[in-house]
Amino acid sequence: MNSFAATIPILIVVLSAIAAMLAEAIRHPGERMYIAGFGLIGLVGAAVASVFLWDSDAVSFGVVRADNFALFINIILCIIGVLTMLFSNEVVEREGLPPGEYYALTLFAISGMMLMASATDLLVVFLALEVLSLAVYVLTGLRRSSAGGAEAAFKYFLLGAFSSAFFLYGIAFSFLLSQGSTRLDGLAQAIASGPNATLAMLAVSLLAVGFCFKVSAVPFHMWTPDAYEGAPTIVTAFMSTGVKAAAFAAFVRVFLSAFEPMQGQWIPVLSAIAVATMVVGAVMGVLQNNIKRMLAYSSIAHAGYLLLGIIAANSAGKSAVLFYLLTYAVANLGALGIVALLGTAEHPHDELRDFAGLWKTRPALAGMMTVFLLSLGGFPPTAGFIGKWYIFSAAVQEGHFTLAIIGVLSSVVSVFFYLRIVVMMYMTEEGAVPARPRVSTAAMAGLGLAMLATFYLGILPTRVIDYALQSIQTIF
Amino acid sequence: MLLSTIVFLPLAGAMLVLLAGGRGDRPEREPLVRNLALAVSLVAFAATLYLWWVFNPSEPGFQFVENRPWLPQFGISYHLGVDGISLFLIVLTGFLTPLSLLCSWQSTHKNVKLFSFFLLALESAMLGVFVSVDLFLFYIFWDAVLIPMYFLIGIWGYDRRIYAAVKFILYTMVGSILMLVAIIGLSYAHGAATGQQTFDLTQLYGTALSWQMEKWFFLAFALAFLIKVPLFPFHTWLPDAHVEAPTAGSVILAGVMLKMGTYGLLRFAFPLFPNAAHYFAPYIAILAVVGIIYGALVAMVQPDMKKLVAYSSVSHLGFVVLGLCSNTVQGVEGAVYQMLNHGVSTGGLFMIVGMLSDRRHTRLISEYGGIKAVMPRLVACFLIVTLSSIAVPGFNGFIGEFLILLGSFRWMPWMASAAAIGVILSAVYMLWMFQRVNYGEVTNEKNRSLPDLSTREWALMIPTVAMAIFMGVFPAIFLRAMEPSVMKVIDLINGVAR
Repeated sequence: MNSFAATIPILIVVLSAIAAMLAEAIRHPGERMYIAGFGLIGLVGAAVASVFLWDSDAVSFGVVRADNFALFINIILCIIGVLTMLFSNEVVEREGLPPGEYYALTLFAISGMMLMASATDLLVVFLALEVLSLAVYVLTGLRRSSAGGAEAAFKYFLLGAFSSAFFLYGIAFSFLLSQGSTRLDGLAQAIASGPNATLAMLAVSLLAVGFCFKVSAVPFHMWTPDAYEGAPTIVTAFMSTGVKAAAFAAFVRVFLSAFEPMQGQWIPVLSAIAVATMVVGAVMGVLQNNIKRMLAYSSIAHAGYLLLGIIAANSAGKSAVLFYLLTYAVANLGALGIVALLGTAEHPHDELRDFAGLWKTRPALAGMMTVFLLSLGGFPPTAGFIGKWYIFSAAVQEGHFTLAIIGVLSSVVSVFFYLRIVVMMYMTEEGAVPARPRVSTAAMAGLGLAMLATFYLGILPTRVIDYALQSIQTIF
Repeated sequence: MLLSTIVFLPLAGAMLVLLAGGRGDRPEREPLVRNLALAVSLVAFAATLYLWWVFNPSEPGFQFVENRPWLPQFGISYHLGVDGISLFLIVLTGFLTPLSLLCSWQSTHKNVKLFSFFLLALESAMLGVFVSVDLFLFYIFWDAVLIPMYFLIGIWGYDRRIYAAVKFILYTMVGSILMLVAIIGLSYAHGAATGQQTFDLTQLYGTALSWQMEKWFFLAFALAFLIKVPLFPFHTWLPDAHVEAPTAGSVILAGVMLKMGTYGLLRFAFPLFPNAAHYFAPYIAILAVVGIIYGALVAMVQPDMKKLVAYSSVSHLGFVVLGLCSNTVQGVEGAVYQMLNHGVSTGGLFMIVGMLSDRRHTRLISEYGGIKAVMPRLVACFLIVTLSSIAVPGFNGFIGEFLILLGSFRWMPWMASAAAIGVILSAVYMLWMFQRVNYGEVTNEKNRSLPDLSTREWALMIPTVAMAIFMGVFPAIFLRAMEPSVMKVIDLINGVAR
């Protein structure tokens, strides 16, 4: 079926991005306008469209496929987008970010992420990758006055461009391998029919480099702490969840469909990368005193756990990746959202000691922050526990006991630094910090939703796991 | 629904307390919050007593079973049940929670709302541990226990509270997270053997495993439980946690949480992996005996009363583990009984130390002396609790330790003989402390005008003392209800009636 149907969620988001741009253009200087509203409408619309497309397996132009897998990721991205929009309004105003650019770029990035999740052609994956990457590079450096932001954006851009080149090179080899096609199904056939081993190996490893960079797996993680620290916190919250979700979606799709026959070759490599990622993320996180850097290393560690799902390569592993992305997105966005909401242009509120005594003055925020951190640390009864359990049980099912043990131990190490924040909030007296800004009702509602989702996924995950299991059946 | 009600009643009460406390730290709502929390915990205690009342003591299996699918994709169910082993641990939890709320009535003023919330949430999680028959559910409660305890130590503890809280949570997590891997592995092994993946304990009993797997799974389970007990040499978190925790935290920690470890050994580690249990039992028992003597010797030289009681726990819990390892009816029954005794007597000791340090703000033995002349009533209670702790006949501790020694003598006589030295040593360190604190002249002027027990403190001491004597005089009431379940577990470990 050749129709536009598969692209509808993406198009809705693109439209809302254009609306945000136009709104900025017609806005009188100094006029306040709730541009986030366009984003909210677009994202909710995209989510609704994704729900309607469920089970329809629509294909557009032969290269964009809205199967349940892509739709599941779409919905995760919509949740990420909606929460970001709810937090953004006051943050953008307070930090003096240019609103039109901020909202339009965020929405364009989301459309790129959605495209990346539904692309079934390597060139379209690359196109989507660039759409989202360029938007995120600019978002990272959006505070033009900040030297740290510019440095972060430049670093991220240079390294990102480098990894894109690797990725493109990988596509070129794949093109050669499948004799004139970059489509995943064509590639799968070519590999199944006894490939040129060297060529296939080159293609696989170059593509893996590109993906590992985007998901910030060790040793391609160097940009992550700097970019996360230098970017405006709200952008950190957005990209640490959105980019990861989109990149893992494409990672799973490419590696577990087209390159699945070559498992024997890439599993050992990815296993080594996963171990390094989990260990480096957890251990380096312990050494950080800046919360954004700390959560950057935490996001590296989480990428390691997610890689275990790909390595397990069974149906539990694939659906575990989807489920984990959802739990991680909700908790990480919540935690970084709170950091963003407490910051001002003069005082970013991102050092560990800034959180001292938060519980005294802001019990609700401290309570929610605790829930998000416990979820990231994998404590029951929060979403993070079910996510971790699902991933590790997929690995154990395939006999990867060593990987699972390294994973759980590194997650205990990471608990140490999550608890450092909790210690600050509850067990340390408030120091001389500047007055913390008020948090609007919309943002509180967003945080409340994220917390509810964290508990819902932690206590009654059955239904969502069912959807995740359905999602992976359509493509693999 | 009875068990669900008992488990979640304290949690619902905790939510209510949070609502009643209002926004922020409102000192004027303190009495309301305290009374509400106490009322909830008393209702929960009454519910556990009702459970005991309707419990059928001649039935060896699980009773009041609730079994509903929870995550059917993976064979995880919401499966609760209670048998003769868990019944009394549930009652003990119900018994100690109101006492621990009451014993912090005066010493805790910092955000009482949150304090009561965490204590009640902790009670829910602990009750959940004892009623779970599904391994996944059990693990959830097992891990959930850590969070409220972490806050209780970290916020309301003494000077080095943060260090102690973090050490406590990380130490316990390392053990339990490896158990999680073993739980997953076990369920897949069962799935591979039978085609049916499940986390249901009753189905997992008797799963055929290769020796390699059984060995590693057992070690992972045992490590988690032995850290919790804590068995020598995994005990180093315990003195820190105990000394830094507020009195209520120490009472719950010693009274109930340590028993989660021994309960786990008896319910999960031994019967799930019987061959490995038989293979490793002597080694664990040796560690237990070393712990009995080591704990007693270290307790003897402690200048701090709370630390002394903490090390005495290491020693006493060694007895419990020894009894479990003996795998005889007397030994295991004695071990289960000793779990309850230790909860009552050590809980009582921590309360008394708390009362002294509430008055004097020090726990150093050398600061006291001649207290008997000043506070005769407190010292009378102190004496009874001390005697119960050192297992004098007529008190509860005697029954437990005697049965354990009897059982382990039948198994390995020399092990029982070595452990018996621990009984003597426990008399040495406890009585020596008792003598230094209470007898002789009043050496410190600050101690001259200390007030004796208040009404609130009587309310703490009367139930504790009464239980210590009652359990020493009428053990049959408890043992009769335990016996069928204990026999059943021993049969599982010995591979009978699989």
